[in-house]
Amino acid sequence: MQNRLSGFGNPWLQLGLSVACVFVSELLLKRGATEVAAPDSTFSWTGINGLASPLVWWAILLIVASFVSWLYVLRYIPLSVAYPLSRVVDILVPLGCWIFLGELISALRWCGIALVVIGLALVAKPIAKMEERL
Amino acid sequence: MSFLAFALIVISLITFVAAQLILKRAMEFSARNGMRNLHFLSRVALGVALMTVSFFLTLGLLQRFDLSYLYPFQGLSVIFITILAAVVLKEKLSVRLTIGALLITAGIVLVSMS
Repeated sequence: MQNRLSGFGNPWLQLGLSVACVFVSELLLKRGATEVAAPDSTFSWTGINGLASPLVWWAILLIVASFVSWLYVLRYIPLSVAYPLSRVVDILVPLGCWIFLGELISALRWCGIALVVIGLALVAKPIAKMEERL
Repeated sequence: MSFLAFALIVISLITFVAAQLILKRAMEFSARNGMRNLHFLSRVALGVALMTVSFFLTLGLLQRFDLSYLYPFQGLSVIFITILAAVVLKEKLSVRLTIGALLITAGIVLVSMS
């Protein structure tokens, strides 16, 4: 058990990798979707026309990578802990939108982001204890 | 926002949450019984299929709304998944974990309202 969970096999490291891949893929998807946007066509509600954008394909690659890491995470960490933690992307994505996509973040939105940070801290704190049990 | 857009957001949320529960079950199963069996593979395939549906619906929505507006709706999944993990998967919920999940959800809702 000890061996499998150290180094690259550490489920917490894999959780971080999974989150990083999701973060980058979301920004790529937005870029890609905007590139090929066809809001007048009904078919575009299915999103399948998005496949015309190379950025969308890069995003899909990252999603597959994050998925493999995520399956590994699921094997070792309870879903009720791993999933709330994975929502750290809900802070990263708006920040990324602000920095890389030039979208605006209002005061209310910053408040929401702050709440997510506090919630994440609450979920993450008891993990040190859980590590000992693992 | 139109009714269609709302319905599509809800459907992409439900398929995503269901996929997470199915995948967690499948990975627990594989820890006991290995990965080379029909039971495990069929569950993973179902999970992947549900996530694919969720993915394309999101891609369609992204063509119409800001990412920073749309994305946090997925954040509602935190509360659904935490509750369902306790009910369906019988995971233990501490008070702390519950409050944390509630705060994350509240924060995400605030982000999407603004």
